[in-house]
Amino acid sequence: MSTLSLNHVGKQYSVKGEQLDVLDDINLHIQPGEFVAIVGSSGCGKSTLLRLVIGLDDDYRGQIRIDGEKISGTSLDRGIVFQEHRLFPWLTVEQNVGLALENSPLSNDEKKRTIAGHLDLVGLKGFETAYPYQLSGGMSQRVAIARGLVNRPGVLLLDEPFGALDALTRANLQAELRRIWEQEGITMILVTHDVEEATFLADRIVVLQPRPGRIKRVVPVPLPHPRNRADPAFVAIKDDVLSEFGHAPRPQLIEPLPRPFGDYVFAW
Amino acid sequence: MTYPIPETDPVLVRDEVPSDKHVQPPALWRWLSQRDWRGFALPLAVLALWWAVTRFGLANTQVLAPPEAVLVEGLHQIFNGGFVWDLLASVSRDLAGFTLGGLAGFALGTLLGTSRLAELLVAPSFNAVKQIALFAWIPMISVWFGMGEPAKVVFIALAAFYPVAINTFEGIRSVNRDYAEVARVYGFGRLQLWRRVILPAASPQIFTGLHLALIYAWLATIGAEYFLKSGYGVGNSMIDGREHFNMGSVLFGLVVVGSIGALLNQFAVRLEHRALKWRNRAA
Amino acid sequence: MSLTETLPVPALAAPAATPRLAQALAGLRSRVWRGALALILPLAVLALWHAATLNGWVAQQILPAPALVWTTLLDLWHSGELWTNLAISLTRVAWGFSAALVIGLALGVAMGLSKTAEAYLYPSFKAISEVPVLGWIPLLIMLVGIGEAMKILVIAKAAAVPITINTQQGIRNIPQPYLEVARVYRFNPRQLWLKVIFPSTLPSLFNGFRYGLTNAWLSLVTVELLASSEGIGYQMVWGRQLFQLDVVMACMLVIGLVGLAIDLFLQITETRLLRWRRAAF
Ligand SMILES: Nc1ncnc2c1ncn2[C@@H]1O[C@H](COP(=O)(O)OP(=O)(O)O)[C@@H](O)[C@H]1O
Ligand SMILES: [Mg+2]
Repeated sequence: MSTLSLNHVGKQYSVKGEQLDVLDDINLHIQPGEFVAIVGSSGCGKSTLLRLVIGLDDDYRGQIRIDGEKISGTSLDRGIVFQEHRLFPWLTVEQNVGLALENSPLSNDEKKRTIAGHLDLVGLKGFETAYPYQLSGGMSQRVAIARGLVNRPGVLLLDEPFGALDALTRANLQAELRRIWEQEGITMILVTHDVEEATFLADRIVVLQPRPGRIKRVVPVPLPHPRNRADPAFVAIKDDVLSEFGHAPRPQLIEPLPRPFGDYVFAW
Repeated sequence: MTYPIPETDPVLVRDEVPSDKHVQPPALWRWLSQRDWRGFALPLAVLALWWAVTRFGLANTQVLAPPEAVLVEGLHQIFNGGFVWDLLASVSRDLAGFTLGGLAGFALGTLLGTSRLAELLVAPSFNAVKQIALFAWIPMISVWFGMGEPAKVVFIALAAFYPVAINTFEGIRSVNRDYAEVARVYGFGRLQLWRRVILPAASPQIFTGLHLALIYAWLATIGAEYFLKSGYGVGNSMIDGREHFNMGSVLFGLVVVGSIGALLNQFAVRLEHRALKWRNRAA
Repeated sequence: MSLTETLPVPALAAPAATPRLAQALAGLRSRVWRGALALILPLAVLALWHAATLNGWVAQQILPAPALVWTTLLDLWHSGELWTNLAISLTRVAWGFSAALVIGLALGVAMGLSKTAEAYLYPSFKAISEVPVLGWIPLLIMLVGIGEAMKILVIAKAAAVPITINTQQGIRNIPQPYLEVARVYRFNPRQLWLKVIFPSTLPSLFNGFRYGLTNAWLSLVTVELLASSEGIGYQMVWGRQLFQLDVVMACMLVIGLVGLAIDLFLQITETRLLRWRRAAF
């Protein structure tokens, strides 16, 4: 199990000769098996941050370390579910999931079994031989999630994985993800702009602010699992995070409880 | 005011299948009556005119043979003449040139598509040389390779080379980089990246190149046989036919050239359809 | 991995003046760099060719010296021979292509607008177009002789096929919503043609035009090589028969240049046309 730490991480893109700050001074320490959610408005650098952690981009400032060792390039121990599903259109569903096992030491039989198990897990039994063009957006995303999980990486990054799903599937998959996380002890970093989703799943919620992307606050979610979305404590945390975006419901209308604002503020 | 467009909607036309589920007329009759016979009017008219002109002495039958004579000559060619050998010779040199040129084109396209430096070095020259009309190479090829089989195959290969090289190059160059990133995440090596990502992603365009090459190679085969007049071949038989005022032979050759071309085209379409069934052709 | 390899262009100069200036400089530098790289191969080939003929590695009968090809080209140019032949060739292309435009547009519009016309004409058109120009040449020679008419027919056939197909499909594929807009605003037929049908078929028409012109030039070269007593293609055959390979190669160069000129002409026309189209909408 691995501790992931980001120290003073910054990233610039040069757009037409001009330097554009996308991430600035990101400090984050993630314990083995922790579930961290990153929320932030669109364009504030969430995907960029994941690209740095997965190792697709090594042009950045600061350090990203796993167990004290600086990451270099990609590794089979770090998996990612991309924001756009990135399934290969020329491969069937099971072949797409199999991509992740291409370089794994499993035998062919074991590979087959694992792939089938994961397709079952994301509810795509019976679609093994379908091509991506035959799938809906939500189904494609589920295949991508299966692909991200199938080789059991120590750290799994998820970039808005449920964004394209309908509410019901989304709730199901959130529960499934939670279950897998508890079962496997995988460290998970979930990027989302659904604050409720973050509150439902994460141990900590990192709020990013845009231009340049910085950590505005980190909100712990000290609630036991399984969490109840209607639980006042749950709602309080959710609203607290939402308030960072100026979307918080007005207290006098919905807020039934006195909300001790400072209680959940543990920014560091 | 009227709008001519709606009535021509091809989808509507295709769906107009009569729903005679209860009374089933004989299959042959259905087939005959569902066919659109209007397309035959023009060819029949031309045929009638041709026949009349030769029958009533309005044209020199030395120049314009009557249709029945052409038919007889065609049948003669099939059953007694060397038609089979001509066809065999043409098709085999076509395939030889296609294979050679296709492989060379694929190699160059791959090189240009994968190496930016190679692209900068070679692509401009390639594009310049490409401007020379294909048949303008024939005189030099006949000097360098003679008038026999090697020259023909080289020329056919040249015809197949260009489309494959261009399309392979563009296909590889336009592979979505997102896919290559997925490969990096799963630790693919160079070979895996090639086999699992770049080739399949570029395959639609590579197929387009091969398809074009198949058509061009057949054209070049006939052309090579016209210009480099040694040995057998459909083109040779047509040129001979013209020299001996044998219209039957020329017309028969014309039909064969068209049919083989159409056949090759169909073959390529089918193959493409099967190999690329992962693409949503319907959408 | 070479996919992500970038060209070895000198890196951007350190904190340059304004970003825009630096950008312009980098653009210029990379263009010069590209041009230099592009010239390496042709120059190397030329040098090798020159050395080969100079040292007698290959016989003059097989490969004339590059300098000889060049002087021959200049000779042909100055003596006017080249111009006469080129003019004859281009006149043939012009006639053939004009005929193809008339035939192709008429056929394409007829088959595009009327299902009936299509039912009668399309099968014959398809059959004729399915046989390449090369297949038609011997028959045409038998029917109309080896003269000008045959060449123009050949060129016209080669050019008319893409023009017809593209015209027909252009008309077929006019987006229905545009036609509905025209109906909503009660356009009269003139407005309909000018504001909807013509602009929306224009890209397709241009495609036909493009392939038509390219085909016309290619089949001209072919037919002149095969059966002609004048023209640039004939000059080449003549050079080949007398084993004057310098003439042959000079002609290849000219043919390549004309091909390039046609290509450039088409590119410029297209950008013009597209601008016009944008203005029309
Ligand atoms: N390759 C790139 N080149 C230049 N700018 C980029 C690139 N990728 C992303 N950006 C910019 O960086 C910012 C953050 O992008 P991203 O990380 O995708 O945001 P998010 O995932 O939070 O929506 C955006 O403003 C985007 O325009
Ligand atoms: Mg994003």
